[in-house]
Amino acid sequence: MAESNGVQAAVDIPADKAEILARPLEERDDIVVCENVHKWFGDFCAVRDVSMRVKRGEVVVIFGPSGSGKSTFIRMINRLEEHQQGRIVIDGIEMTNDVRNLDAIRREVGMVFQQFNLFPHITVLGNITLAPQRVRHLPRSDAEALAMRLLERVGIPEQAQKYPAELSGGQQQRVAIARALAMQPQIMLFDEPTSALDPEMIKEVLDAMRELAATGMTMLCVTHEMGFAREVADRMAFFDEGALVELGPPDQIFNNPQEDRTKLFLDQIL
Amino acid sequence: MTARAAPAPLPPATTVGLQGWLRQNLFGSWGNSVVTVVVAVVLAWFLVNLGSWVLVEADWTVIISRAPLYIVGLYPYEGYWRLCVCLLLISVLLGMSWRAWPGPARRFAFAFGAVMLFVGVFPHEMAPEHRALLLLNLPFIGLGYVLTPRPAEAHSGRLEAMAGGALPPALERVAIFSTPRRMVIAAFVALVLIMILILGIAGVPGLDPVNPQDLGGLMINLLLAFFGIVCSLPIGIGLALGRRSSLPILKVACVIFIEVIRGVPLITLLFMSRHILPLTFPEELNIDRVYLAGITITIFSSAYMAENVRGGMAAVQTGQTEAAQALGLRGWQTTLLITLPQGLRNIIPAIVGQFISLFKDTSLVYFIGMLDLVEMGRVSVQGNQEFIDNGREVYLFIALVFWVFCFSMSFISRRIEGALGVGRR
Repeated sequence: MAESNGVQAAVDIPADKAEILARPLEERDDIVVCENVHKWFGDFCAVRDVSMRVKRGEVVVIFGPSGSGKSTFIRMINRLEEHQQGRIVIDGIEMTNDVRNLDAIRREVGMVFQQFNLFPHITVLGNITLAPQRVRHLPRSDAEALAMRLLERVGIPEQAQKYPAELSGGQQQRVAIARALAMQPQIMLFDEPTSALDPEMIKEVLDAMRELAATGMTMLCVTHEMGFAREVADRMAFFDEGALVELGPPDQIFNNPQEDRTKLFLDQIL
Repeated sequence: MTARAAPAPLPPATTVGLQGWLRQNLFGSWGNSVVTVVVAVVLAWFLVNLGSWVLVEADWTVIISRAPLYIVGLYPYEGYWRLCVCLLLISVLLGMSWRAWPGPARRFAFAFGAVMLFVGVFPHEMAPEHRALLLLNLPFIGLGYVLTPRPAEAHSGRLEAMAGGALPPALERVAIFSTPRRMVIAAFVALVLIMILILGIAGVPGLDPVNPQDLGGLMINLLLAFFGIVCSLPIGIGLALGRRSSLPILKVACVIFIEVIRGVPLITLLFMSRHILPLTFPEELNIDRVYLAGITITIFSSAYMAENVRGGMAAVQTGQTEAAQALGLRGWQTTLLITLPQGLRNIIPAIVGQFISLFKDTSLVYFIGMLDLVEMGRVSVQGNQEFIDNGREVYLFIALVFWVFCFSMSFISRRIEGALGVGRR
């Protein structure tokens, strides 16, 4: 199939970004700062006392058993869930109830969902151009040119005029990635992006994510794709019962986990 | 191509085709067979009797001689041509729909054209110029068709697959209804023209104002139902949004309005609008009962519409709102661009259902003294010695008219549902 090799090897990285990316991770600034973050659903504590700092351009894979609070955690980073205690700062912007801060943060953060959540009533092109036109006020022609560049990047420019329902799951998820990228975010959140896909489509989505990581995008991915994590992640975060149990490079997590719970979980899934 | 497998075995003859169908549905067991035979006998007896009455005993003179009363009420004869022109405008819109949406609209255009042809050539008393105007509907459907480009140019994507045949390039160039927006504008202009033609304007020769009370027959049922639905859609959307609003006062006001209106029968509302509401009006304000009926029906219908819209929006998955929020769309943008369009698409069947029910309910306006189709039927029988025994014919005719309209609307609705993919994502 022509679509599956759609990931382009060469990608343009803007000069200012390239300069930051040239530095080693330790010397870059923190783009996501979470300090003692808590979240409850009723009396149930879904996320407890999570502190995490993510460097610019870093790829963090978040994993853990279901119900461990990992999705809730990344949904707090663009405030699809509100944190009730602690502090979240995104690229220097404090997450508060102030609508201007929230707008600014949502412009910085793109998100890809497990169920794609494409808008079924508009075409693929319309899905991608909607937010750039309505939120960033790009003229239609610019938004469409941008959308076509992004569709080429994820390898499906020929699907632009179709409706989401006419695409395979893998194609839909790649459109969702293009849609999030169209807002030119600094950070991308992935909430189990391949969990709803048939096995043969997982690769095409992971390829698109690999390519994105190679451009220096800051990424927080909730995923169970351990091969992807080993290959792409700078650090991995293991969540259990709402708490961040262990955070470290893949080498440590896979070969020398510091916590018994991490080891137990990895033994179960690998 | 994959390698060819051995030919698949055929199903047993007793399970497919006519034989299979009969066996499965009518003669599956002894009990079923007995029920089938009994029902068939009763049905045959009923149909034979009805048929012989319809064809032999019934006297249909009353329908033919009173046809104008049933269709347009007491509308002045000099204005009939204006109504014919209204039909022509509808023909253009139908032709446009046929081209833009060949699946659902084609049969409707065909049926409309067939009725016009039938009435136009039927041997009864009718002025030749009216006959000519009715027959002119056929070319006007074609005109609407020609003025609309192929769907591929008007829309893109899935409608393309349904596109009708191509026209010669010279004809394609005159297509003025080339975008959905232009089509909507054309429909709106046509509706305004229709209202002007029906009601007339003072001082314009040939367009003498018509006393609203002379509107009657099927025309008033259709007008009230149509304008009721068209006006109640935006009001209903507003009420539904208000009910979903986080502003407590707005929300409570909408809830009270909706629940009060839904809790009262239409006939009561009509009575109140006619006999109680005017007491609160200033003396000089004299709103005709036709308009009062229209307003009442709109208000009644918008409360139900609000609940439909609310239900349709509630059925939109929460992931849609989350995706919109994550993209940075504001609350009102999310509602207008994401939730509302999907919600409205969900409720197309419900809107048509409501239209059908409202269309039938409009016959209640007899209660405030209007001569709709049903009331006109009653009057034409009871008010005339000659036809005093023809009640059965008249009411059968009226029932048939209502059925034809309601059935064709639900037919269209099912086709639109299919074309829009309601129920699948």
